[in-house]
Amino acid sequence: MRTKFSGILTLFLALFVQILFAQQQTVSGTVTDDTGMPLPGATVLIKGTTTGKTTDFDGNYSIKANNGQTLVFSYVGYANQEVKVSSTTINVQLKQGEALEAVTVVAYGGAVNSAKVASAIATVDGSTIEQVPINSLDQVLQGAAAGVNVNTGSGQPGQSATIIIRGRGSLQGDIEPLFVIDGVPVDQDNFRSLNQNDIESLSVLKDAAATAIYGNRGAGGVVIVTTKKGKKGSGINIQYRTLYGVAVKPKTRFEVMNATQFLTYQRDLLPGTQFGDGLSDTQIAAIAGQTNTNWSDVFFQQGTTLSHELSISTGNENTSSYTSAQYYKQEGITLGSDLKRFSFRNNFNGSSESKKFNYGTTLTLNYSVSNFIVDAARGGNTGGQLDNPFLVPYIGLPYLNRFNPDGSLNTFGTIRSGAIDANGNQVNANGFLNTPFLAINTARFNTDQETEFKAVGSISADYNFAKNLTAGGSVGIDYTNIEFLQITTPGSIRGLITPNQGSEIKGSQGESFLRDANFIMNAFLRYQNDITDKLSLSASIYGEYNYSNTQSAGFTAFGLNPALPGSSAGFTAGNTQEGDDTNGDGILDADTELALNYVPGVFSSETELALASLFATLDLDYDGKYGFSGTIRRDKTSRFPKNSTGTFWSVAGRWNIDNEDFMNDVDFISTLKLRASYGVVGNQGVGSRYQGLQTVASDPTSYQLGTGYGLNGLVDEDIKWETTNQLNVGLSFGLWNNRLSGEFDYYNNLTEELFSTNAPLSVAQTGYNTVITNIGSMRNSGVDLQIAYDVLRKSQSNPWSITVRANGNYNKNRVEELPVGFTGNTLRTTEGRQALTWHDVRWAGVDPSNGQPLYYDVNGNITNEYDPNNAVYLDKNFDPTYTGGFGADISYKGFTLNTLFSFAADRWRRNSSLAIIEDASLAGFANQSVSVLNAWTTPGQITDIPRLNFQGRAEIGDRYIEDASFLRLRNVTLSYTVDSKILEKTNIFSGMRVYVQGTNVFTWTKWRGFDPEGNDAGGFFDYPVPRTFSLGFDLNF
Amino acid sequence: MKKYFLIPIIVTLLFTVSCDDQLERFPVDTLVEETAFQQVSDLENGLRGAINSINRVSLLGFNSIFADNCKVGADNGGQQIALINQVLNSQGGDQGTWTDRYNAINNFNRLLAAASTITPEADEQDAYDNVLAQSYAFRAYLHFDLLTYYAEDLSNSSSLGVYYQNVVATSGFPARNTVGEVLTEIENDLTLASTLMPSSSTDVNYASQNFITFLRARIALYTGDYTTAISNANTIISSYTLANQAQYASMFAGDGDTTEVIFKFDNVLGNNASIAGNWIFTGTGGNFMEMSNELFAQFEAADVRRTVNVDPSSDPGATPPSLGIGKYPPNADTNYINDYKAMRLSEMYLIRAEAHARKASPDFAAAAADIAAIRTARFGSAQTVPTYTSLNEAITNIKAERRIELCFEGFRYLDIKRFRNILNVGIERISIDCETVPCSLPVSSEKFTFPIPQAEINANPNMVQNPGY
Repeated sequence: MRTKFSGILTLFLALFVQILFAQQQTVSGTVTDDTGMPLPGATVLIKGTTTGKTTDFDGNYSIKANNGQTLVFSYVGYANQEVKVSSTTINVQLKQGEALEAVTVVAYGGAVNSAKVASAIATVDGSTIEQVPINSLDQVLQGAAAGVNVNTGSGQPGQSATIIIRGRGSLQGDIEPLFVIDGVPVDQDNFRSLNQNDIESLSVLKDAAATAIYGNRGAGGVVIVTTKKGKKGSGINIQYRTLYGVAVKPKTRFEVMNATQFLTYQRDLLPGTQFGDGLSDTQIAAIAGQTNTNWSDVFFQQGTTLSHELSISTGNENTSSYTSAQYYKQEGITLGSDLKRFSFRNNFNGSSESKKFNYGTTLTLNYSVSNFIVDAARGGNTGGQLDNPFLVPYIGLPYLNRFNPDGSLNTFGTIRSGAIDANGNQVNANGFLNTPFLAINTARFNTDQETEFKAVGSISADYNFAKNLTAGGSVGIDYTNIEFLQITTPGSIRGLITPNQGSEIKGSQGESFLRDANFIMNAFLRYQNDITDKLSLSASIYGEYNYSNTQSAGFTAFGLNPALPGSSAGFTAGNTQEGDDTNGDGILDADTELALNYVPGVFSSETELALASLFATLDLDYDGKYGFSGTIRRDKTSRFPKNSTGTFWSVAGRWNIDNEDFMNDVDFISTLKLRASYGVVGNQGVGSRYQGLQTVASDPTSYQLGTGYGLNGLVDEDIKWETTNQLNVGLSFGLWNNRLSGEFDYYNNLTEELFSTNAPLSVAQTGYNTVITNIGSMRNSGVDLQIAYDVLRKSQSNPWSITVRANGNYNKNRVEELPVGFTGNTLRTTEGRQALTWHDVRWAGVDPSNGQPLYYDVNGNITNEYDPNNAVYLDKNFDPTYTGGFGADISYKGFTLNTLFSFAADRWRRNSSLAIIEDASLAGFANQSVSVLNAWTTPGQITDIPRLNFQGRAEIGDRYIEDASFLRLRNVTLSYTVDSKILEKTNIFSGMRVYVQGTNVFTWTKWRGFDPEGNDAGGFFDYPVPRTFSLGFDLNF
Repeated sequence: MKKYFLIPIIVTLLFTVSCDDQLERFPVDTLVEETAFQQVSDLENGLRGAINSINRVSLLGFNSIFADNCKVGADNGGQQIALINQVLNSQGGDQGTWTDRYNAINNFNRLLAAASTITPEADEQDAYDNVLAQSYAFRAYLHFDLLTYYAEDLSNSSSLGVYYQNVVATSGFPARNTVGEVLTEIENDLTLASTLMPSSSTDVNYASQNFITFLRARIALYTGDYTTAISNANTIISSYTLANQAQYASMFAGDGDTTEVIFKFDNVLGNNASIAGNWIFTGTGGNFMEMSNELFAQFEAADVRRTVNVDPSSDPGATPPSLGIGKYPPNADTNYINDYKAMRLSEMYLIRAEAHARKASPDFAAAAADIAAIRTARFGSAQTVPTYTSLNEAITNIKAERRIELCFEGFRYLDIKRFRNILNVGIERISIDCETVPCSLPVSSEKFTFPIPQAEINANPNMVQNPGY
């Protein structure tokens, strides 16, 4: 509308001017770049008309124009320049600049001009995460945007990360952002099946002005994922891409003993009687000479990554499409951990001839198969499972031989490992000593697999049905079906005790499915009008309905016939009885309780969640200088029947200072925008989907295997969503023709009505120690800084382009009010401190006189008494205070080097893995750190390892709370793009790019383990994220 | 065509404005409290749920490990280490007993509240009454459990007891009742239970009239009312006979015999409350706690209790001796699922013996006869009747007999606590059993009374902590 209006006005003015003055003349000149090189093919246009010319090879032009008219000079990659006609010769030097107007993708609004955004939004360009062999789109955000803290809990391919935007906003509710892909809210913890090469851009919405429109789901921030669309009028583009990579183990930051060290240590230093005791030096040398196993070498493998992708984008005048198909395979760094998938996407957009009616569909269909190890981050695992492969590099005994006498790999265990006796009969294959073989055995013979089908699709349309009015709507679905398969084979070591030790037939097979469907239905009406020349308004009203349905069912059968793997024909009947038959008559003794060892386990479940919402937005702009935005949303949820309705809102304003008249003379400032916003956003992701109901569990295996009813914990039925009041003040700037550009934001978010599953009660009075309710408040305040500097810009005369960029976040979390006193044990949350602050007895080293551990008491005096009452707050917190990333993009001719470093600082985790290998009381069956060789033995000895008869990790205090800060070279890519002139000759290819890439190449940290990352406060034999090196090429046809 | 496009949009808008019924979603996996209890069979479900909520495992472990019936096992990787080190603090040192018992009591209270809203049909009256009677009986039983562990002195009725919870409340800060008040409430509940208990309620796996009598005898002994203890014990002893050797062995092997069982918690496969898990890796095998050498030495070869208590895989001759705890064997199902025989006849004999020895005018001969009766049954041949000439002598002998008869059944710590002021002996471990753990706990230790959990102290300003914590 606006353009039409100004167009008419300009035309009118032009006519007017022409009539009045009619001083048409021929204007000519040369268009050059900022180095003086002529620009051939630059456009010269008379403003407000369609009259234009292009420059010739020497950059010369000539055009007929009237005095007073304005000529617009433009060239791709250069900033437009306008010159008023006042003479017949106009030479113009164009400056390099943003070729396209920068856009930002906002909620429900699509892409808008960045200058008109008043909220805090970080945009991550899809190209920066393409072909990075980290296969979960939340994981790849690490270091990519300010205020986005990404933590990965496991190196399992496709593992979802924990993302926290601008600090932990909830103590026990959901802390992660809402993910919306092409308008469809999706599962925030499962991206392994999606092809991240399909992503055009990610928008991280950080303040209330951006997220309040998501009402009671927006408090943790929102990540809007936009996938690639074809461009109208672009013709057909076909691209083939491939990648091959190798994942290798991360650096080991601890050292365990070798066989000689360990046996000598057992004999000479360790109290009690172990294997090493009684061995002579010669015997030790003989054993160590024969066997000195470094279990790290056994359990880490090189995992390969392979990807093939074909994408086709088309575009004609009214329709465009983007289609891609990808095959992707990634192996983990240990046996039995991998991901294979096939992904397909088709996005289609079309519009009517008049462009008044637009419609689009997005659809992605994905199929993936993941195999899992006994990963610390999986299911109910703690990391301490003896078949966890990452336990073995720590505690696997070096004197155990990995090979059988015939040279084959031993997968069961040895006499020394306690698995078999001298006659070769199984003894204690599931014991501690046998850990290495148990882990090998499980990885080789047992199955833990998930097969997933995931579809995300939407259809949307809008219609400009009347002047200023547009109506639109969309329907979308996120559908995930996961089939779980868990087989403990009869012959495996775990099979020996499955279903139990005494059962005659062994093994189990569990199969189940989880089907999660999220539907969204949305309709809107938008009014847009340029009220005056300067004032424009846009207002929308939306109705939306979200519905989620999750179903699961499954079985576990016991007693497998090894001849019929995977089939129910091999299952043992559930009513099979076993027991003693003392007289051998074939009839089991009746006086003992007979065992039903093979009763299958079955389950079935369904949950639902519905959300109906009405919301509205208002945007005002005055002359591109001042803007106001407001949103309001009323949500009604099924989650809290007694408190179902909530209203959330935001207001925001901006001042584009650069557009002020008084800035005309300030040349070095190209962009300067002040932003401020305030709003109230909610988080309904607390507890279960029926959190507002006091439920009673029905347990079919209650007393005497009858049905038993019992309260499902105590619930305050008046419970509701958490509310966050968010303030954001920001400055966007661009200096020296946007050579230096950036955004600086201050935020202050106060979360109230915190969800708590453990508000304290007198159990004597109520029968419950805790009730599920809302209590307390917590504040996150901090700053985000995002900055980029073009050190060199490519031009006709300069083949170099160098851009350095950095982003960072400082976040201060403080619990403002918590009537509970505190929650947690050694990792506490209490009023006046940061959530999740360590609280423990301070370790003060080792008493040189007697080798006893020393501690500080509450007053800081040294004592050798361990007393839990001496625990103090340590000012060490689990969540990092600083996070961010930085890097550089350097290109020279066809070569490009991209680097990204990510960091997190001031974060502390407990290194419980190291505590295990420095605990001498476990040295009977677990290998030890070489540090233990320095244990105190003689009075006067200064050491940090106490005497070895100090037993017990129960009394270590804060000894293993370690600085888990890290700086990581997250990704480095060197690519070469073949000159298109060469490719033209092939008549097949239009583009070719070859690259080598390293991911997680270096990590600098003080953490004494494999991997400082991890989303658990205590590291306990985690699956570390690998280092990956890959090679790939892209071909365009 | 494009006009039709408006239709779904309008429908969506209308739908969101008026779709309240779409927002009423109820769980399919659980019941909602308001509607869970509709009839007597629901109450019976509630009864099972409430009984099942009682932890019938951890105190059996506590009594044996904290006291002197255990030593660190060969396969110990840190399991129960705090307990054998006699760590007993207000942060979980009580094995969750406070929370568990009050939670279970609350379940019975809620059950009674639910029952009050239901009027049974005539043919359901017995079933209905049984639910009430069970609830009152267990409420008494559980409160007495609390009293034995958290009250310092059961014989002093004005000393601090525990709060008697007989209402359903979701807030409040109760203070501790005195021992006397609690005992009065317990007796009230037992009387109610006894009145309501239908004659058909004789299932050994539930409370019964004999359960009530048994509990009264135990309460009377612990609180120093020896006459009542004797009279209730007489009632029970007259209606049961002691198990012979075969029956005794069978009782602990697969729960094959209930000759002398008055009440047991029926632990069955599938429900998986495993007592043996206190000492044994029941899934993979291996002992992280073993029988102490001292206890092992108490068992004579002819005593069936040696066979029952010492696991057959044991090797007493090894260095160090390997002494698996065999009272709760893996059984045919190898899942180590065994009933918790919470009330056995032999305890009645022991209670009567102790009451005879401790009553105002002691009858040492009667006491000795009861001890001999048990020994005769266990040895399968007549055993010498001991002679007691002093209280100290009688109690020493009764204590020793209780140890071997009731080991791993949740009595040892309580016995030492009860006898410590008579014998002036705390917990004493022999040196081979205490190489890495404390060898003794003095008589004066505060650890003979459980600390009130810190969570309760923090949440309830009226709660008074026990001395020493």
